[in-house]
Amino acid sequence: MNSSSGYLSRLKEILGTREIGLLLVIFVASILLSIFSENFLTFSNLTSVAIGMNYDVLLALGMTLVLLLGGIDLSVGSILGLTGIITTMLLQAGVSILFAVILGLLSGTFLGFINGIFIAKFRINPFIVTLGMMAIARGLSVVLTLGYFVSKLPEGYLIIGQGKFLGIPNPIYVMILFVILFDYLLRKWGPLYKAFYIGTNPDAAELSGINVSLILLAGYVITGFLSGLAAIFMTSRLAMGYAQFGVGAELKAICAAIIGGASMGGGEGSIIGTFLGVMLLAIINNGFVLLNLSIYWQGVVNGLILVIAITVDAIRRARKGESRA
Amino acid sequence: MINYILKIEGISKRFFANKVLDDINLKIKKGEVHAVVGENGAGKSTLMKIIGGIYTSSEGKIIFDGCEVKFTRPQEAINSGISIVHQELSLAPKLNVAQNIFSHREPVNKLGFIKWTELRYKTKQILKHIGIDIDPSTLVADLSVGMQQIVEIAKALSQNAKIIIFDEPTSALSGKEVNLLYRVINDLKSKGVTIIFISHKLTEVFKISDKMSVLRDGKLIGTRKTKETSIEEIIKMMVGRDLGNLYPDKSSHIGEKIFSVKGFSRKAEFEGIEFDLYKGEILGFAGLVGSGRTEVARSIFGAEKPEFGEVILEGKKVEINSPRDAIKNGICYLTEDRKSWGLFLEKTVWQNIIAASISKFVNKRGFLKNGKIKERAKHFIDYLNIKPADDKVLILNLSGGNQQRTLLAQWLSAEPKILIVDEPTRGVDVGAKAEIHKHLRKLVESGVGVIIISSELPEIIGLSDRIAVFNEGKITGILEKDATQEEIMKYATL
Amino acid sequence: MSLNEKFRTITKVNNLGLLTTIVLIIIGMAIFFPRFLLPINIEILGMGFVQEAIMALGMTLIIISAGIDLSIAGTMAFSAIMVGIFLNNNFGIAVSILLALLLSTLVGFVNAQMINHLKVHPFICTLATLTTLKGINLVITKGETVAGFPPAFYFFGQGRVFGIPFPIFLFAVMAIVFTYLLKNHKYFQQVYFIGGNIDSARYSGINIDRFIIFIYVLNSILAGIAGIITASQYISANTGFGIGIELRVITAVIIGGVSLSGGKGNIGGTILGILFLAIINNLFVHTGAPTYWQEVVYGSMLLIAVFLEEYIGVKREGTGALKRWREVML
Repeated sequence: MNSSSGYLSRLKEILGTREIGLLLVIFVASILLSIFSENFLTFSNLTSVAIGMNYDVLLALGMTLVLLLGGIDLSVGSILGLTGIITTMLLQAGVSILFAVILGLLSGTFLGFINGIFIAKFRINPFIVTLGMMAIARGLSVVLTLGYFVSKLPEGYLIIGQGKFLGIPNPIYVMILFVILFDYLLRKWGPLYKAFYIGTNPDAAELSGINVSLILLAGYVITGFLSGLAAIFMTSRLAMGYAQFGVGAELKAICAAIIGGASMGGGEGSIIGTFLGVMLLAIINNGFVLLNLSIYWQGVVNGLILVIAITVDAIRRARKGESRA
Repeated sequence: MINYILKIEGISKRFFANKVLDDINLKIKKGEVHAVVGENGAGKSTLMKIIGGIYTSSEGKIIFDGCEVKFTRPQEAINSGISIVHQELSLAPKLNVAQNIFSHREPVNKLGFIKWTELRYKTKQILKHIGIDIDPSTLVADLSVGMQQIVEIAKALSQNAKIIIFDEPTSALSGKEVNLLYRVINDLKSKGVTIIFISHKLTEVFKISDKMSVLRDGKLIGTRKTKETSIEEIIKMMVGRDLGNLYPDKSSHIGEKIFSVKGFSRKAEFEGIEFDLYKGEILGFAGLVGSGRTEVARSIFGAEKPEFGEVILEGKKVEINSPRDAIKNGICYLTEDRKSWGLFLEKTVWQNIIAASISKFVNKRGFLKNGKIKERAKHFIDYLNIKPADDKVLILNLSGGNQQRTLLAQWLSAEPKILIVDEPTRGVDVGAKAEIHKHLRKLVESGVGVIIISSELPEIIGLSDRIAVFNEGKITGILEKDATQEEIMKYATL
Repeated sequence: MSLNEKFRTITKVNNLGLLTTIVLIIIGMAIFFPRFLLPINIEILGMGFVQEAIMALGMTLIIISAGIDLSIAGTMAFSAIMVGIFLNNNFGIAVSILLALLLSTLVGFVNAQMINHLKVHPFICTLATLTTLKGINLVITKGETVAGFPPAFYFFGQGRVFGIPFPIFLFAVMAIVFTYLLKNHKYFQQVYFIGGNIDSARYSGINIDRFIIFIYVLNSILAGIAGIITASQYISANTGFGIGIELRVITAVIIGGVSLSGGKGNIGGTILGILFLAIINNLFVHTGAPTYWQEVVYGSMLLIAVFLEEYIGVKREGTGALKRWREVML
């Protein structure tokens, strides 16, 4: 380890990272957008983009953790939907805000726990488990609401998502807080740091004394919690609960995580990268809106971005000499 | 005019910068049973895969039945008459015997539909040929491993092979099935089929082969007529030097008992395992592959629970239900398959070194102490001479020897009281081997109890103060350090 | 030999348990809902699940090969929309159908090549295709429904052959052909090697890439056929066709005994799985239970089916319920 090359080599190292690359792309995209649309750089536009990012970031954080562990969670969007329904219905029934929020978060956590049990304890394939959970959660949302909006929510609740602190909306603070928190914990906190090992080689991790079951379970539980949290922000911001909230969100989360450096094979992932990935997608979609491009193309573009992301991922892995087919 | 069916001239093979075979020259006669022996990593499997068309050689040529051949695909070798019976069986478990034997070569009508009656008939013929009575419609998954291997052999036979290559043919067979295999091989020989086989079991090699070739570190050391050589000479060729130089001095004094295992049993794997371990000694586990040593080790380590038995550490009984428990109690296990079970190939050296001891590098709240990690990693990199020392290199790019050193560092970092090492020098060059042996000896001298599992008899004899010999899941004898290979083999094959 | 094994060797049916359950449910249904056994209901039962049934045939091959195809919903809608557009442009029925199926082939081809060359799990590849297709469908239709199908086209969804609805007839023919092919054709048998022991498949010289292309293209064509049938049934096409259908298709296949890890299963089992789910579907009709419970039920069925298959099935075979962790990951 060469401490003598000092700052210059450290700097070069940092500049070569994926995160910087992403930052560059975002920078370029932003400049282009601000040229083509005068509305891009306004405070109101930027804050609305940032607020919209909130839900995606929370979901993508959980997704990054789960991908890091070598699994996947397709149910994040549905858990968001169901948790939102549960919380808002409780509020409508007169439950206090505090209790409703706690119960909402608990239900999200619980649904994640169920995922985790099937995957970590019974060792069943994660995408089938979460595919099933996705259907069940979404189905229950519809069952509970019959498609109707859940509205007339108390003022105190709406502040969560709509309130501001020092002129900046609450969701933005929460988002930044969680990104910083998770990034730090993942890189520096023992129990979460072990996730890198589990995703790389779960059998070797088990033999190294790492509690693979527990950490896997925790990963899905945390993801469930984050989905619940995202639901609280979404429902309080939009002032309603709706069974279709979160449809398609899992795809965006996967996309963002992969763009941010998570690998499908497990063992790799970056919270900052994921955050930048969400930002990139959000800016691109914002561009669609501002430039009045047909929103129908959004789906295609998102799909293509995913294809590009996994192709880049594949090339990276091939270059590193891995062969995990 | 001698009829050589296979001539290998100047064959070399390189994987990126790593030369695994160097200028191999070999001549095999038709109808000969030729054994290829050597330590792990000597290049035996690679050579077979080149002959069988799975790899292509970097240099040299192969002359088969008078013509030069260069196979680019396994199918070409098979079509020409060279079949390999792999160590990892190549059968589809959910198809039956007939479908597997004739896979991809089933008798079909013009539209490609399988003619079942003909297939059944042909299968019965082949099986009769070997003298086996299995119903062709039995699912492979329902057969014992030994029988599966027989099916694999029948498959090679059905390909009208002129040369059949066996890779560790008896590793998974029981006594009765082994004899069956010998009979089949002799039978094939009388029909003019040439057999090449790789084996670790020297006694077996001496029993059935006509000639044997020894590989070491990718080079051919020599070929001998089996009748004209001895186990000692072959071992010397395999190892390359007198046993004396390779191994450090043994223990001068043995201390008190630190570890005991009593009544360890697990159905179909091992039974009634009992032994003691003393301070300052290296206890060796000898035995044939499959005799249960790794299973016992993994059970002690908590990777698989035994059904009965207890473990006593420093006089106290310990309850071990998982590797976590074991490590906490100071019992560590260095796995025999470092790539699949031991190392994290896509991570760096120091990340691998701390993998089993992360709890030692966190503060009270669980946060990593990066300074301490770097210091510890550096310590082991120096101590064990791990190269390259660059922090950015991924472990998968290191040589076998350095990978094994890293694995050793991983467990040394966990500060074990008892360390079980399973095949610690597999796939490692001779230099690294000697170093690892030295470190193991240093470890015992510092008071750690070490158990070494190895399939290389010279290593076991060279390193152990006492040797427990395993045979089909039981310990048949505990021998002193001056035991001979013959004695050990006797206990291992009773 | 256990009863299961004896039964298996006689009838070559692996799913004694499933068959028994189905028989019991049928008896139960017949008792509680006297109209259950009427021909008209059997027809409703069949037609309520025929698209899933057709696609499950292809999905069986895909899952035996240790892969998966999530793009079928997108392909189904895509083919329905395209056939509508071609018909609207007076391409003629035969040509329109052919073109729609050709496009479906293209989708399958893209799936296969991504899997072959990107070395990424089929799940992710087909997920990407699904997203893109959904987007393309939206772009083409702008959210509107495609109409204007000529009366002759109604046959595929609503016509009859020998008194049976055409889609069911088509499925029956396909089921028989697929069963026969998978069991008796040399080429199809390869799937067991690719799924069960890929190294052996490589060593024996099978062209794995080409086979993967074959099964994914086949699967997409089946999805395309399902789309055409649906368009013909509803005399319209929109982006809502087939949403969530992959859940039911995969559930049917897994209930039928095909293992996610590959190398195991057959069409007969899938047919039982299809039958099982079709009956459940029909149960919804009879009990008048609201359709929005369906997703919950199917999701639960999937979890139960995969739990039974992976956890208990593995245990019975003696390798213990604890798989190596590596097999659990994506």
